[in-house]
Amino acid sequence: MTRSTTAGSPPPSRRRTGSTTVVRALVRGGPLLPAAILLAVFLIVPILWAFVGSFTNATLTGVTATSPEWVGGANYERLFADPDFSLSLWLTVVFTVASAVIGQNVLGFAIAFAMTRAHRRMAAIGGGVIVLAWVLPEIVAAFVAYAFFSRDGTLNQLLGVVGLAGDNWLFIAPMATIILANVWRGTAFSMLIYRAALAEVPPELIEAAEIDGANAWQRLMRVTLPVLRGTIATTLMLITLQTLSVFTLIYVMTAGGPGNASSTLPVFAYQEAFRFGSVAYGTAIATVMLIIGAVFSLGYIAVLRRAEADR
Amino acid sequence: MRARRSAIALSAIAAGSLIGIVGCSPASGGGSGDEQTLTVSYIRTDAFTALDTLMQTTKEQFEADNDGVTVELQPASANDEDYKTRLALSHRSADTAPDIFYQDTTTVRADAEAGYLLALDDYLAEWEDWDQFSDAAKQAGVGNDGQTYAVSLGTDTRGLWYSIPVLEAAGIETPWQPETWDDVLAMAEAVQSSDPDAVPFMLYAGTGTGEGSNMQGFYQLLYGTELGGDALYDSESGKWVVGSQGFIDSLEFVQTVYDEGYALPVDRALDPNVWQSVFGELFPGDALGATIEGSYTPSFWVPGGSFEWDSYADNMGVAAFPTQNGDGPGVSMSGGWTLAVGAQTDAPDLAFEFLTMALSFDNSLSYVNENSQIAVRADVAADPSYTEANPFVGAVTEFVEFTYFRPATSDYNQISAAVQRATEAVITGQASPAEAAAEYDREVESIVGADQVIAP
Amino acid sequence: MSAATPVTAARLSAASPARGASRMWASVSLAVVAIAFLVPLAWLLLAAFDPSATYQTRIPSSLTLDNFAAVLTPQTTFIPIMNSVALAGLTATLTVLASLLAAYPLSRYRSRFHRGFLYAVLFGTCLPITAIMVPVYSVFVFLGLLDSFFGTVLFLTASSLPMAIFMTKNFMDAVPVSLEEAAWIDGASAMKALRTVVVPLMRPGIAVVFVFVFLQAWGNFFVPFVLLFSPEKQPAATSIYTFFGQFGSIAYGQLAAFSILYSLPVIVLYVLASRLIGGSFALAGSVKG
Repeated sequence: MTRSTTAGSPPPSRRRTGSTTVVRALVRGGPLLPAAILLAVFLIVPILWAFVGSFTNATLTGVTATSPEWVGGANYERLFADPDFSLSLWLTVVFTVASAVIGQNVLGFAIAFAMTRAHRRMAAIGGGVIVLAWVLPEIVAAFVAYAFFSRDGTLNQLLGVVGLAGDNWLFIAPMATIILANVWRGTAFSMLIYRAALAEVPPELIEAAEIDGANAWQRLMRVTLPVLRGTIATTLMLITLQTLSVFTLIYVMTAGGPGNASSTLPVFAYQEAFRFGSVAYGTAIATVMLIIGAVFSLGYIAVLRRAEADR
Repeated sequence: MRARRSAIALSAIAAGSLIGIVGCSPASGGGSGDEQTLTVSYIRTDAFTALDTLMQTTKEQFEADNDGVTVELQPASANDEDYKTRLALSHRSADTAPDIFYQDTTTVRADAEAGYLLALDDYLAEWEDWDQFSDAAKQAGVGNDGQTYAVSLGTDTRGLWYSIPVLEAAGIETPWQPETWDDVLAMAEAVQSSDPDAVPFMLYAGTGTGEGSNMQGFYQLLYGTELGGDALYDSESGKWVVGSQGFIDSLEFVQTVYDEGYALPVDRALDPNVWQSVFGELFPGDALGATIEGSYTPSFWVPGGSFEWDSYADNMGVAAFPTQNGDGPGVSMSGGWTLAVGAQTDAPDLAFEFLTMALSFDNSLSYVNENSQIAVRADVAADPSYTEANPFVGAVTEFVEFTYFRPATSDYNQISAAVQRATEAVITGQASPAEAAAEYDREVESIVGADQVIAP
Repeated sequence: MSAATPVTAARLSAASPARGASRMWASVSLAVVAIAFLVPLAWLLLAAFDPSATYQTRIPSSLTLDNFAAVLTPQTTFIPIMNSVALAGLTATLTVLASLLAAYPLSRYRSRFHRGFLYAVLFGTCLPITAIMVPVYSVFVFLGLLDSFFGTVLFLTASSLPMAIFMTKNFMDAVPVSLEEAAWIDGASAMKALRTVVVPLMRPGIAVVFVFVFLQAWGNFFVPFVLLFSPEKQPAATSIYTFFGQFGSIAYGQLAAFSILYSLPVIVLYVLASRLIGGSFALAGSVKG
């Protein structure tokens, strides 16, 4: 690949006369400024603020709303002693791996791949339908998914048509329903990225493999996937981070129940922070989510690094 | 080199203009100059327009009476939880705190403690209409320090709604008025044997129906046990009750109802939308004997309601839910919303005047009628247009005499969730009533601290 | 939409029987997946035309347009949709511009600082926005930005930036540096190279980022709800709650009808964007040939 030789090296500067490294760094970093300022003011400051707040007993209302006290690690101690929390942590990992890493990612790639080979009209229709679930506002998608899985819902009516007895899926299999709902809603995102990325795979590489006698599967495994490794790692990271914070979908479908059988961390955090008003405790939960996101992401970054080193 | 400098310059300009925009943006909120502005915050949805009508009317009247004062209405289209969150946030700054707002009774104490609400005692003392308010309604606006912080807009009560055809088919005479819990169970047994397909007695329980499973379920039982109004929270000591026999007895009643198959199956009972089946299918289909529901029940069936049902008035009856052993007239739970004045308002006198205008006889009357509320003003409750709004208004209004409000402390929502978990553990068979009660005691202690609980 | 197929097809002789079979299989499996994705939407369509809709899926006993008539009012639909278009459109535009600028150095120069900075911010996006809403509110109070439409746009932009920068950088990495070298030799600045060489080549990527950010802003309820007080500034997401009554009743038919109307603009946007993507596939191909 031609870009490998120059990517990462500075563009040729024909008249570099004694410019210092500092100036160069500023010049190069300059375009980052608008984004950096926005991020600093509206995201980084609040996140740090929230993090500090997780060491207090701040609440939304009551005495501690206006005059919170420093409580050190008490919120975290309470968190790690709470059996609901360990369950919630586990459900979050299950939800993320099953619906994002496996579901959205694999299905999204498969659909994008099929679209490059299918009849043009079919590809357009198929892509459009899948995007439809994605463009629905989350709360609407949640109602649609609820209506689909509920006792008298579409799924059971379809099962009835073929002579199968339905069940109250939201009750007997809450995790499965929210995972499927999230796959349904979120697959379009990875599909769109893979669709754009597949178009960037140099055709001559595939052509060369075909001339070497590789079949379609081999071409996919040996040419397409390795070329897209960076994109795949990035996509995985993005959908993982998005899925970790899925809230409305779960809240409308099962509200974390029955009991706490589908209470992932965002649902758990919301209950604590807003229903119970314990903003600080809710933030402590969110901090743990941040760490989970980072752990997942570091894995993908390792893949990305290797992909870039290979170039 | 020059080219790259221009890149920096460009970014700097972009960043600078951002800051400029940030700096110049106008702040919202309170009035400035000689013009006074009152901001009013409340909920308005297409399905809940009564309060908007009230506010629009009051704004017109108020602006006509007070020259130079502008009332700025800030209706929010949101659910209760989100509205409450935004309201709590808005109190964090004097610029954004509304002057008058729609306030849930369950958060009055906590919001007063936080210093968000203005104490109204001095103003109320001079308001002649204040005597018209019922004692229960007055109590709903009282903070932990005994001062009044909010004035009730209207309330609701809860009773035992039953299907006349289903009960009569089972040989039970109507109008029906059970005296004890056993009478309720006897009714359920009779219905079960007369029509095995019908649901004899639906009792909400578990976390699925949320707060409703307590208000229209467990509390109706608990507040009818030996400790009565102090069964959940001891008002004298201000502590939460643990280790009470009444709690276990109530859970045993719940267990009986579910074990005997009187209620809907557990998986349906835990569906957050189960109440829609109750109103939409079961009662109109003569497939349910009785359930505990709110005074607003007819509003679902009247023309324009969610589940229009022409003959509901002839088919339904309502009775007070009995106490455990027949002591006292019955049990009812009440909630409802109030109007309150912000502690940070620039014009407390004007704000209070607006509040009294919104709660005047005429305005109250049209509001409670339009919104299926129970009137809290004696004069409104006596008005023919109120008592004749639907055939059940008289009966459910009488429940006000023995109704209870929840202990709206800042811990309340957590306690409520613990109660829901206890009933859920019982109906799903995860725990016996005694075990579930013991677990509840442990949870309460960890929520409020060991020094905030009391054993009877 | 898929202009890629003819490009590839022209390159690789399309007539081979194996290719025909694989094309059919691809089409059939796409059709199956599409149907599976479509079925859950049945409720939405049926309920929208049902005069007495509930959350249960059923064929309406009679069809009606009343639900649409009821929601097609300025207060419920028109004004909020216009607000949403402005809110999401401005947010997506600002985000794409800031991301393009930021992605350029990230993509073209290696720097430990750049990378660490970006990842740190990116991790933050897994936080549910509700978790930082209290401090965000305080920041808005401090800056006097509450109830400011543009302030809300800035926050939405900031919260979409991490994802957007990351995606943009990834798309930009795929544009060969060799093409810019030609521009540099011609004496063009980095910014000019970005504008004239890189951006035109990554139009599909930009379209994906734009659509993604637009959707996030379009569906966001909580942020505009908390940061904007004036009812006339509220976006369409808040209208959803207008169908929820005080005692838990929900006007399902109107909710469904509104949901369809609310989704139409984003569907149109997607169609337009995919046209653009389709158009530039050919372009990308010609450059690479």
